Amino acid sequence: MPRTQDYSNEELMAVVIARELRDGDVAFVGLGTGGRAFVLAVGVPTAACQLARLTHAPNLSLMLGPIINPDPSSQPSSYADSDLIRWPSEAQVRVEECLDCFKLGKITVSFVSGSQVDRYGNLNVVAIGDTARPKVRLVGPIAQTDHLAAPARNFIVNDLSPRTFVDKVDFISGAGYLDGEQRREDHGLPSQGPWRLISDLAMFEFDEATRRLKVRALYPGVAPEDVASRMSFEPLGLDSAHELEPPRPEELQVLRERVDSKGLLLEAKIDSGV
Amino acid sequence: MQKKDKTTTLAEAVSLINDGDTVAIGGSLIRRHPMAIIFEMIRQGKRDLTLLGWNNAIDMDLLIGVGLVRAIETSYVGMAMVGLANNYRRAVESGSIRVYEHSETTAIDAFRAGSMGWTFYPSKTPLGSGLAKYNERVTPMDCPFTGEKFCVLPAFRPDVAIIHAHIADYVGNVQLDPIRELDNEVDTLIAKSAKKVIVSVEQVVSEEAIQENPHLTMLPKFFVDRIIEIPFGAHPTACDCRYDYDLDFLRDYHGQTKSVDNFNKWLDRYVLSVKDHYEYLDLVGLEQLFSIQRPREMR
Repeated sequence: MPRTQDYSNEELMAVVIARELRDGDVAFVGLGTGGRAFVLAVGVPTAACQLARLTHAPNLSLMLGPIINPDPSSQPSSYADSDLIRWPSEAQVRVEECLDCFKLGKITVSFVSGSQVDRYGNLNVVAIGDTARPKVRLVGPIAQTDHLAAPARNFIVNDLSPRTFVDKVDFISGAGYLDGEQRREDHGLPSQGPWRLISDLAMFEFDEATRRLKVRALYPGVAPEDVASRMSFEPLGLDSAHELEPPRPEELQVLRERVDSKGLLLEAKIDSGV
Repeated sequence: MQKKDKTTTLAEAVSLINDGDTVAIGGSLIRRHPMAIIFEMIRQGKRDLTLLGWNNAIDMDLLIGVGLVRAIETSYVGMAMVGLANNYRRAVESGSIRVYEHSETTAIDAFRAGSMGWTFYPSKTPLGSGLAKYNERVTPMDCPFTGEKFCVLPAFRPDVAIIHAHIADYVGNVQLDPIRELDNEVDTLIAKSAKKVIVSVEQVVSEEAIQENPHLTMLPKFFVDRIIEIPFGAHPTACDCRYDYDLDFLRDYHGQTKSVDNFNKWLDRYVLSVKDHYEYLDLVGLEQLFSIQRPREMR
């Protein structure tokens, strides 16, 4: 898939997310992974929120775990506790109060990733295979179940891969639209479930009627077959999807000069210990 | 009559834990777990344990790897950026331990409920998810006032809580440094939910030193049963602005735990053949400890 472009895929993903953020949003980004998982779960979402704060959404609040509205110009070069603690920010709150914001509905945007993701946006980070005797035991639900049970616009951020994008997740650690027939509301969940899925090749949404994953836009230069070959089910809207507008120079300038001048977030140059 | 001195040795404090107990472990991710207490639990061979936590790592992985654990309740057992928790993986994949899955809030709220003397608590988090499907204790309940759907879960009421903090006086008032990682505030709830509370601290200080900053007391003495002074007592996990996590040590542990044989060698070297915490610190080495220590002006 040859593409000539003057921006990285991670910059593109950050721009795509930033455009979906609204002034006044309260966006939650979790902390605590390394390598590629860091880029997807922390780096890209953080950069997107800071970009939005510096452009069209000055009243967006970013909760980086319990750290609220950290100053992008003094982004630390390591996420060791002693550095995070002293990062100039508007507030650092107790973790239980920070997580209460999900239950209160204060958090309007959140970012999640899954080891498995299915066509209804259900997520799994608990176990691959049989739950009682799994083939692979993963880390556990962490706050993912809380994210998906909250009335927030959840962004799922994942690279496309047939192993990740499966017909049905083995364990629902984050409730998407369940099996499509059942409604989230029938279980007592808020109707708002996963909102967008941001991948390395395309942005997806969830079809209003069927609640199935649907391509919203292909990234510049990406063909429908590229997407289909990296998923083990076919998403809706693959053939009618339009191409996304590439990052504008002014978006890239803010990202590079004011959000992530050292590549700490989008190039994983941060010292997260890997 | 004199005030009760709650300071004691690591061995005596850990002797309060019985086989079959439910033990709640403080700390989160790879920060401020009471590691010296856990090493001593292994040396004393405490068995058939149920472990409670909200976000766990090498603390649970070790006890599980030694085969001392029957069941756990937490939202996470992993080694953060270092990788998966290998002993934990093996134990779950072979079916040798039972895992009661929690999210961060269901685990924290279980401690919160226990800390208030409640026997259960409501949550919307498990609705529609595997947390409800695979845990027979999660019970549906409608709010009697609004009709909203909830799940109710049993509160955590552990036999013992083990916590690592910064300072305490000999009567048992425990304090944290004012500038600290606020992900660990759950420790207060964990301690208050338990029937017995064992706290290791970096330093035991005078009563006057505590009373100079009473707002920093996280646990007044009547919540606390034992105080043990253990410098670097959270190593290899982080201790706020005092020292960072020891990534070299954690990476080595992660590598060794990929095989049972190598884990057993690691265990023998760092835990079983070690007489006390100071011999463990000797093995880690002064240079390594100084490298993770943070500058004084940051404290």
